[in-house]
Amino acid sequence: MTTKRISPELFEKLVGLAALELTAEESTYLFEEMNHQLASVEALSQIPLPEDVEPSLHGLEPKGLPPRPDEWKPFAHPEAIIALAPETEDGMIVVPDVKGAK
Amino acid sequence: MKDYEVIIGLETHIQLNTETKIFCSCKADSWEAEPNTNICPVCSGLPGVLPVLNAEAVHKGAILAAAMHAQINTKSYFDRKNYFYPDLPKGYQISQFDQPIGRGGYLDLPLENGETRRVRIHNLHLEEDAGKTKTERGVRLLDFNRCGVPLVEMVTEPDLRSGDEAAQYLIRLRQLLRWIGVSEADMERGHLRCDANVSIRERGTTVLNTKTEIKNVNSIDSVRQAIGEEAKRQIELVESGGKVESYTLDWDADRGKLTKMRSKETEADYRYFREPDLLPVVLSTEEIDAVIARLPELPLARRARFEQEYQLSAYDAEILTSERSLSDYYEAAVAAYAGEAKTAANWMMNDLSRLLNDLGKTADQLVLKPENLAEIISMVDKGKINAATGKSLLKKVEETGKSPSEIVDDEGLGLIADSDALRKQIEGILAGASAEVASFRAGKESLLGWFVGQVMRSSGGKADPKRTREILLELLNKE
Amino acid sequence: MSLTQLSAFEVAHKVRTGEVKAAEFAQAALEQIRAVDGVSGSLNPGELDPIEESKVHAFIQVTQDKAIEQAEKVDQKIANGDEPGLLAGVPLSVKDIFCVEGTRTTAASKIIANFVPPYTATAVQRLVDAGAIVLGKVNLDEFTFGSSNESSAFQPSTSNPWNTEYVPGGSSGGSAASVAAQEVALSLGTDTGGSIRQPAAFCGVVGLKPSYGRVSRLGLIAFASSLDCPGPLSRNVRDSALMLQVMAGNDPKDSTSSTLPVDDYLGALEQDVKGLRIGLSPDYEAVYYPDLESGELHSEPIQKGVREAVLRAAETLAKAGAEIVENVPMPNTRYGIPAYFVISRVEAASNLHRFDGVKYGYRTPEAVEDLNELYRRSRAEGFGLEPKLRILMGMYVSAAEHASSYYQKALKVRSMIRSDFEHAFDPQGAYRLDALLTSTTATTAFKRKAVYGNSVLMQYSDQMTVASNHAGVPALTMPGGLDENGLPIGIQLIGNDFREEMILRIGNAYEQLTADDAWRKVRPQVLQGEVRA
Ligand SMILES: [Zn+2]
Repeated sequence: MTTKRISPELFEKLVGLAALELTAEESTYLFEEMNHQLASVEALSQIPLPEDVEPSLHGLEPKGLPPRPDEWKPFAHPEAIIALAPETEDGMIVVPDVKGAK
Repeated sequence: MKDYEVIIGLETHIQLNTETKIFCSCKADSWEAEPNTNICPVCSGLPGVLPVLNAEAVHKGAILAAAMHAQINTKSYFDRKNYFYPDLPKGYQISQFDQPIGRGGYLDLPLENGETRRVRIHNLHLEEDAGKTKTERGVRLLDFNRCGVPLVEMVTEPDLRSGDEAAQYLIRLRQLLRWIGVSEADMERGHLRCDANVSIRERGTTVLNTKTEIKNVNSIDSVRQAIGEEAKRQIELVESGGKVESYTLDWDADRGKLTKMRSKETEADYRYFREPDLLPVVLSTEEIDAVIARLPELPLARRARFEQEYQLSAYDAEILTSERSLSDYYEAAVAAYAGEAKTAANWMMNDLSRLLNDLGKTADQLVLKPENLAEIISMVDKGKINAATGKSLLKKVEETGKSPSEIVDDEGLGLIADSDALRKQIEGILAGASAEVASFRAGKESLLGWFVGQVMRSSGGKADPKRTREILLELLNKE
Repeated sequence: MSLTQLSAFEVAHKVRTGEVKAAEFAQAALEQIRAVDGVSGSLNPGELDPIEESKVHAFIQVTQDKAIEQAEKVDQKIANGDEPGLLAGVPLSVKDIFCVEGTRTTAASKIIANFVPPYTATAVQRLVDAGAIVLGKVNLDEFTFGSSNESSAFQPSTSNPWNTEYVPGGSSGGSAASVAAQEVALSLGTDTGGSIRQPAAFCGVVGLKPSYGRVSRLGLIAFASSLDCPGPLSRNVRDSALMLQVMAGNDPKDSTSSTLPVDDYLGALEQDVKGLRIGLSPDYEAVYYPDLESGELHSEPIQKGVREAVLRAAETLAKAGAEIVENVPMPNTRYGIPAYFVISRVEAASNLHRFDGVKYGYRTPEAVEDLNELYRRSRAEGFGLEPKLRILMGMYVSAAEHASSYYQKALKVRSMIRSDFEHAFDPQGAYRLDALLTSTTATTAFKRKAVYGNSVLMQYSDQMTVASNHAGVPALTMPGGLDENGLPIGIQLIGNDFREEMILRIGNAYEQLTADDAWRKVRPQVLQGEVRA
């Protein structure tokens, strides 16, 4: 018997939230794989965790520089950034509007 | 109709006046810049680049937290708030979530009726601003100049009770922000932005009913009007048997109208998690204590002290503490001036304020120093110059940078207080006005004023009025 | 001995002394690439000539002109009597996940297939500044998401130079293969869960995952930001030490980059292993994997030949005076993959948000109704299956209602894994290790298509490596023998925080001690033709 850890409905919702759309074939494969991965992830729930264990943001806590001084250093080629965009107009990036937006 | 009260909470976004953006070294302010000229790979969301925190943004955030009487956390974290929007080039906003820099705190609002409304702050967190989009001919145009500008988001508890109070809150907050120097707080330039949560309830009850959120109430008038409109709408709706639904509304300031943007039934899930590209923000207790210790006296405390210490009316104290530089100026002038603090206050509120207005300067930008003002008032007090000369001196000092006494000497503006010279002059006038002298002596004492006028005219206004009067009376009453 | 066989150390020496020109090394590398690499990976490979099946296909892009230009600069420096740098004239390949200004940087994904960044990754910049010659960008699993290279959108994906029917491992598969096939002496890779070490082991080369924060991540297109580590791949330990020496050190543009001083890695190699405490752990002798239906953990011992190689290495080191400490408990190792499934996916999903068809990269050519459709179509058409899977998984386990049972829990498990290492390396503790010796992988390389498609099994190929990513500690893999099919076996030395110098020292000693072993004389299949010729 196959245990489904997420429902097809939830899966569809996630696809929407992820700003993706899937073919039927992709959908079948990814749905199955996700459920398989969650089977692995479930091992986490079986781990006896001591009460005082803290979540770690990094395994080895980085000792980096303190926050930087507030000094202006302009990027030399801002136009090169905009030049990367698929569509521009007057130095601005163009995208379609959001349907239903005001 | 039942008696309703309006429950309001405000969510404000405050642009910190740092030199650079919060996570990159682009300029924070690009008000004058062409679109997409104040950007770099970091703030425009290119792949592979990393945020580096601006120390000054943290420092100013801490100052604001201290001024709001919030608890400043020794360790706070940045988190990613994930969502898709074209003004957000990384697809997530770096913000603070469950461990922000400041928690709690309040701002006291003096109300018209003399009471004080304490508006509690829920929390205060640092974050980056998004870019700007504009819609033209059905497409959106993106400008990332504003991406990464440091903001403090500050959310109040639902402690405000009317549009007027909400407006007051913004006025007081704006005053405070400028006072402590963390933001220019120019609402027209979006330095201080506001969303309002509005609900109503029957007076006397404590429930919190469904609220609506009004976006973009970005001027004092908008806040007052939009909340007024929305409260009215909710009351009418409930009175006619309807139910308030959880909407997001947009305020159109030009038309003075609220429009529904979207229903808010499902809260978006931003999937917050700690920003792994940044270290926790650590402030030692020493650093925090230093921020608190260096905090200037805040406007309301200073206002109260002015009333007490200088015996000023509430009105005068309010005006003189409207801006920190004005109040600092006033205190320095009072300190340099031997006379009544009230006299200095009058000069500040009338003549100095006019000068500031004319020049478009703030008090700290004046060439005319508080000591100069004090000297001018003292000269008037002592009869060295008359009041009109004193007033004209303000501008002259400001323009020349010379000291008041220097100008008085150079231009011969001093009053003739030398008794002998004045006596001679008066004797001459009396000699040429025998008819009037006779009338006076016959009992027409009202002519004294005419004599004074004659002396003034002949001295070109420089005669000391008090001395003139004394000598006139002495000579006229001689016979 | 041909120029391409020389180590980076030897190349730099010959170039510095003027014995051979950097340009000659660049030419030799280009010739070797022409001889063994075959067609470069591309989005539309079309029908391939059968001969291509015997090629390495490490490169997505050979930057020939730039390489020649860089080599000439080095030669000019030498002619001028200027300092040419530690890596003068050394041929280098760069995993195509590092941004290089003016060079197409694809992440092996259609979604940024034509992205040309206006900046260069710090690690690459430091290597170039030290005189290295970048021959080009090498293939990887799409966005580094994989352990076989097969998920690259640029096909053909890289083959294992030891047997081209086998995968080179991943995600730095192109890096490992290009070094093994002597196309370059060094390669810059990245390691998030084992992505340097697993392919290095599969391809019989040396690979080092430095401590988190030792090498700047700036310019590395992020997979899981709290785990990603750039690091070297080379044919011997000394070359990895040399390359790390050049790359390591604080970068003000990466807040997580360490300010600790950089050790003298090359100097450390002069020391032997006498008195060093090297641990063996039973927790690295089996793999633990879940039943895909029930989720129950099963265990299976690691491949016999691989385990024997580890024991052989321990014996060798013991003979040289190291103290072998057995039965070091690393009990949380087995939770490394489940925790990784959560942490890395959450970060990956977020890091991939920016690829949305708006600012750069792929935008759907189809007419769209609105912005949301633009997002969906661009991402659906631009991302391959594996990124899609990771995005969905990441979204699920970080959703507000699941975050505490998955994401927060995984972060705590990371702390537990970390504490295993803290105990093992604690100088006052029971074990006081200088290094932990394990296998790098549970098995040697697998055949193409043998695992690809089974995302769980694929992920479990990182079981021996992922714990050091969670803990942030450095780990070195080096060849430790060949299996019965003649495929390389990798053995791994894991060190304490920022103790790269220690594992490099032990690794170098092991290399010297086994220099004359018969298996070291065997050369990869793709190089055997050259021998015949
Ligand atoms: Zn910037």
